[in-house]
Amino acid sequence: MRRDNTVLKEDGFIGEDEINIKKVAIRNIIKKNNEKIVDERTIPNKNNNNNIKIVAKNITRTFIVKNRKEKGIKEFVAIKDINLEINAGEFITLVGPSGCGKSTFLDVLSGLSHPTSGELYIDGKLVTGPALDRGIVLQGYALFPWRNVRRNIEYGLELKKIPKKQRREISKKFIELVGLKGFEDSYIHELSGGMKQRVAIARALAYDPEVLLMDEPFAAVDAQTREVLQEELLLIWAKTKKTIIFITHSIEEAIFLADRVAVMASNPGSIKEIIDVNLARPRKLGDIRTSPDFNLLSHRIWELLNNDEAKHEIKEVNQNRNIAEEISPTVNL
Amino acid sequence: MTIRKKVSLSKTLSTAFRKSIALIIFFALWQILPTVGIINRQFIPPIGDILVELGKLAGTGEIFLHVGASMSRAIEGFALSVVVGIPLGFLLAGWFKTFQELLDPLLQVFSQINPFTLFPIFILFFGIGEIAKVAIIFWVAIWPVLFNTINGVKTIDPLLIKGARGMATPKLALFYKVVLPGAAPLIFAGIKSSIGTAFLMLIAAEMIGASKGLGFMILNAENNYNIKKLYAGAFTIAVLGIAVTKLVVLIEKHVITWKDTSAI
Repeated sequence: MRRDNTVLKEDGFIGEDEINIKKVAIRNIIKKNNEKIVDERTIPNKNNNNNIKIVAKNITRTFIVKNRKEKGIKEFVAIKDINLEINAGEFITLVGPSGCGKSTFLDVLSGLSHPTSGELYIDGKLVTGPALDRGIVLQGYALFPWRNVRRNIEYGLELKKIPKKQRREISKKFIELVGLKGFEDSYIHELSGGMKQRVAIARALAYDPEVLLMDEPFAAVDAQTREVLQEELLLIWAKTKKTIIFITHSIEEAIFLADRVAVMASNPGSIKEIIDVNLARPRKLGDIRTSPDFNLLSHRIWELLNNDEAKHEIKEVNQNRNIAEEISPTVNL
Repeated sequence: MTIRKKVSLSKTLSTAFRKSIALIIFFALWQILPTVGIINRQFIPPIGDILVELGKLAGTGEIFLHVGASMSRAIEGFALSVVVGIPLGFLLAGWFKTFQELLDPLLQVFSQINPFTLFPIFILFFGIGEIAKVAIIFWVAIWPVLFNTINGVKTIDPLLIKGARGMATPKLALFYKVVLPGAAPLIFAGIKSSIGTAFLMLIAAEMIGASKGLGFMILNAENNYNIKKLYAGAFTIAVLGIAVTKLVVLIEKHVITWKDTSAI
């Protein structure tokens, strides 16, 4: 976490109970400046629209960056005023350049990180921390090397204190769902990247969360495996009817998977536009790729992303990328 | 199936041969060279004579007295170092990180001090009895355990912690489901190296001031010019050291079944 000239303070990671007066001061300034600030008592009415699963209201997340050379603290706005409503059972993808706050937003959604201002509601309830109603799948798998495939998948079930016999039944079901039958007793280091990601998906699904948060899950696997996993994910989604929020930097992946694509802009990270994807399901990547609708959407998103890049001087973008990389999710014990 | 078994059997046999050939030749030479007279058997008696001497010592029960005394000292000091070192390592690495950073240089200096020079100071404080010996064994054995535990906790992949947190793992479960198994391989490495140093220090401590124990037996045999007894003692120490290390490796294999051997 420590680089030569900057010391970064993460505020709000759960478990870090360090009180920082400066942080509070900055938070207040943001609140004053924020015209669209919502009254904390108004909880979105669930009855208005039964379909809405997740409501993000004016989510802003800032990081305090200490600069040793200038002897001051700087505020870095990772995401600013993100408003998003996600329907139950929807597959939404977030696409954007690196450093646009995609992962920061996902950390907020997972409850690992508190928004500096704004609120997040799931089923009308304010989110205050991580819970088993959301499953997360990370790019680096985050599987436990000391557990075999079955016991990795049963991890969430153990936390839920589900008896062993039932755990076995549930894990068996999900091992079959992700196509890992025969690998139950393998340890993680014995699996390929694609298989590891299947385990990670099965682990997140096994404890039956209603929402699945996926942070660039297929970025680290090879192109062929990625395409297979994408199609399988759509099948799993159709079977399990989960609400999926999927982060990617691939335009193709974003369109292929999603009902809606949220295109993000950086500096500060925000949602630029939400694009509906009306391609028929079930989708096959081979067919979709060559369809004119797909190309139109793809071009549209490409334009949105490119305009954003062009607005800033390259130097500035690079600088902010560095900061974003440094604050990107590292969690202390 | 049978063919595969045959292949694996001949493979095990050849590995066993390759692993033991050096030892066999060594012991054969130890027997032959003094017997033939190439080596003076006054200084190096043949291994056969030493084993006979060992048998005699076992017959009178003398060797068991010394082994018992040595083992109880070693086990007390070593067990104490594990019981103190592992929890202390977790506390320093997990909960009091700043304190650990401040304390680290001091701990490094302590661990680097030659324990033989410290022994007279320990005697000064604890007297010449059992406490001084157990204390000095504890002193040398705690450092590998402590440093490896701290390292083990610190080197756990932060992504695993993040993943576990994302699944709303409570703090206590985070400790025994993630931190403890994550740090286990390095802790075992620490335990193994602390057993080695504990044995080394044990013999030295027994040579400085004791009335029983293997270290005392060797020193006493040397003073009385009983060379066979001296070798019998040295032989026993070597066998004990190997046996204890093998036991720990066995326990380790039982606990850490998942180790990626290709990476190590």
